[in-house]
Amino acid sequence: MKITDFKITYWEGKAERAIGDANGPYGSNRLPGSFLEIFTDEGITGYSLIGNGYVEKLFPLIEGKDPRSVIGLWKEMNDLVFKGGNEGERCDAISAIDLALWDLKAKIADQPLWKLLGSSTNSVKAYASGIDLNLTDDEIFEFYSRMADKGIDAGKLKVGLDLDSDERRLGIVKDALSKASDRPLLCIDSNEYWSPKQAIRFISKLEEKFDITWAEEPARRWDYNGLKKVSDNIKAAVATGENINDLAEFMPLIDNGAVDIVEVGMGTTGLTGAMKVANMAYAYELPVAMMNCPGNTMAHLATNLPNHMMMEVVDNGRELFFNTDHHIADGKIILGDKPGFGIDVDFDKLNELKVDKHSTPKHESYPFPRREGAGLIIKPLEKD
Amino acid sequence: MKITELKTHLYEFENNRVVGDANSPAGRKLQSNLLIEIKTDEGIVGYSSAGAASKPLVESMFNRALKDKDPSNVKGITKQMMDFAFKGGHGGMINEAISSLDIALWDLKAKSNNEPLWKTLGGLNPKVRAYASGLDIPMNDKNLKEWYEKMASWGFDGGKLKVGLNQDDDIRRIGIMRDALKVNSDNPLIMIDSNEYWSPKQAIRFISEIEQTFDLTWAEEPARRWDFIGLKKVSDGIKTAVCAGENLKTMGDFLPYFHYKSADVVQVSSGMGGVTTAMQLADAAYGFELPVTLGGSFGHVHAHMATAIPNFMIMEITQEEPDPCMTWDVTFEGGYAIPGNKPGIGVEINFDILEKMKVEKTSPSTQASPFGRRPGAGLYQVAPSKEEIANSERLNQ
Repeated sequence: MKITDFKITYWEGKAERAIGDANGPYGSNRLPGSFLEIFTDEGITGYSLIGNGYVEKLFPLIEGKDPRSVIGLWKEMNDLVFKGGNEGERCDAISAIDLALWDLKAKIADQPLWKLLGSSTNSVKAYASGIDLNLTDDEIFEFYSRMADKGIDAGKLKVGLDLDSDERRLGIVKDALSKASDRPLLCIDSNEYWSPKQAIRFISKLEEKFDITWAEEPARRWDYNGLKKVSDNIKAAVATGENINDLAEFMPLIDNGAVDIVEVGMGTTGLTGAMKVANMAYAYELPVAMMNCPGNTMAHLATNLPNHMMMEVVDNGRELFFNTDHHIADGKIILGDKPGFGIDVDFDKLNELKVDKHSTPKHESYPFPRREGAGLIIKPLEKD
Repeated sequence: MKITELKTHLYEFENNRVVGDANSPAGRKLQSNLLIEIKTDEGIVGYSSAGAASKPLVESMFNRALKDKDPSNVKGITKQMMDFAFKGGHGGMINEAISSLDIALWDLKAKSNNEPLWKTLGGLNPKVRAYASGLDIPMNDKNLKEWYEKMASWGFDGGKLKVGLNQDDDIRRIGIMRDALKVNSDNPLIMIDSNEYWSPKQAIRFISEIEQTFDLTWAEEPARRWDFIGLKKVSDGIKTAVCAGENLKTMGDFLPYFHYKSADVVQVSSGMGGVTTAMQLADAAYGFELPVTLGGSFGHVHAHMATAIPNFMIMEITQEEPDPCMTWDVTFEGGYAIPGNKPGIGVEINFDILEKMKVEKTSPSTQASPFGRRPGAGLYQVAPSKEEIANSERLNQ
């Protein structure tokens, strides 16, 4: 089996529901996306739900190779970007290719990826994550209540701009999830908007009322001293890693006790990179939590990690031209038996969404830029 | 595919040459093995091996965790085996059982995909660097020279000498090994291994003296396996990299190594929770920018694994033909180990030969930890006795 060609399709659409966080509190449902196909000489095609122009530069490395050699190819791609570093666009492109190769590898074995990876379970615990700073109190209750109906007993609220409102809304999340558990797991996420001392003040205050499972990105992603300081001064676990691309950048976090729960996802240099970071965390007795992704496809890897805790489910209706073989029940993401990631694509719909280039709107930008006042003085929401 | 049956075969045979280390300068040739066969309802059989003494644990773990399962689920099954062993810990003898069953499961998984294990693991180039390792304290100078010359003729340009009991002998013998390997390189890679016989300060003294004559690639187990402070002290006190980990058994055992930078080169093995855990450990080492080296293994399964470890450095080859009832699909060329394309690990068993070597019970000298720990270890060097020298000379014949 040999890789012969690839195709990237850029598309734009709107998610069913807008999402927002401390950096983008007014929310957005803009969805600029990419879809990567990697073709083989035996007619099997690997899919990836991300990708960018740098894929073209990496492709010659994998052309003519057997996709089953995915880990070796991952190393070659990493070695190629050595000088500039495995970051940003380069990392996204490696991730996209890596995911498509894993899809191929499992399709070649005619197995769902979770099984190809060696897992003995097809399910993984889920937590609900509204990415909800833009949602009203009623909308928050509705979202978490709907998730609780699927047995989900854990939720993560976006916080950071108004402590009183955060406290009130966390109570709403708790109430909504109480359907699924007497003691729902509550997480909060301030998306690097706070300084370490702000984080300690605000989280301690919330902890007077709530038992919090984790506080996510309470300081900047690379500030291992600051993150450690936060962890030493709050009861909740510090979860971080979401915005880190390269394995090596986890070293100072893990080795200095700056992280209690290690976050991995598609962006952690693909499935291969995420698996390596998870194994590194495993050696340090640290749990990992899988980040959200379109179609919840990374659940395949999560089932395979002995130290995996729970995976983020956003459910904002962003699967505009594809379905993935899974459902959510009993508080779990339950994967099906379709080969690979189990991605079914509606190419007519994809064609309708297709663009030559992603637009760059001036005002409503997604992903969210960093909000004014971050780490300094909170810039409150304008009441309108 | 379902796992149906476990079969084990206990047998003994004589190595074609004497082996030993600082803990056993008298050496030995006799070796025992427990061959493991795992059968499935589709007729595919997975192979592995374990130490003779772990047989009851292999059987009970098989019944508890493997029977009726699908071998494709290997990582989940191995996690379950470790969880079963939670309370008593999954080190020691139970680790041997878990590891050997995990290896057989990977053999089955790759065979059911009809691909060699290196491909199942995601490897790209089936060609991994290897070095010759004589396990050679009991070998006399003449045999030492001949053995490394033979290995050099296979293209090896790296060698590891067992040291530790006599500094003058060690320096002379490193020279013999280096000279034999020089046909392949102006600067052969020289490794030494004292098998935990020294204290940290002894290691620093002896290695520093050797460093005046030789450029060493690594010094292996220069202090006790769990002495993460002593190992770090050795690394801080010598130029050579400290290589350690060989006798650790679990992921958790390595935590202090990673955190305190005790090892510069991390030894990983399928004997640590099987292929599954070894690959996880290699990933952890990768995250800490540490190279990984692999030792001897069942059917050279380590050659398969090395292809999928980005931070893999070099692999140990101890015996050129270690087991008369077995063939494997790994060849050696130009100093590289090259896993082939037979499905799974590629081991094939000659059951006629095996039948002739079968035993009910193994000889005491072949059982787990055959060398024991030598008196004087960590205190002062106890040179080989007249009886030990006589024994090794007899086995050198």
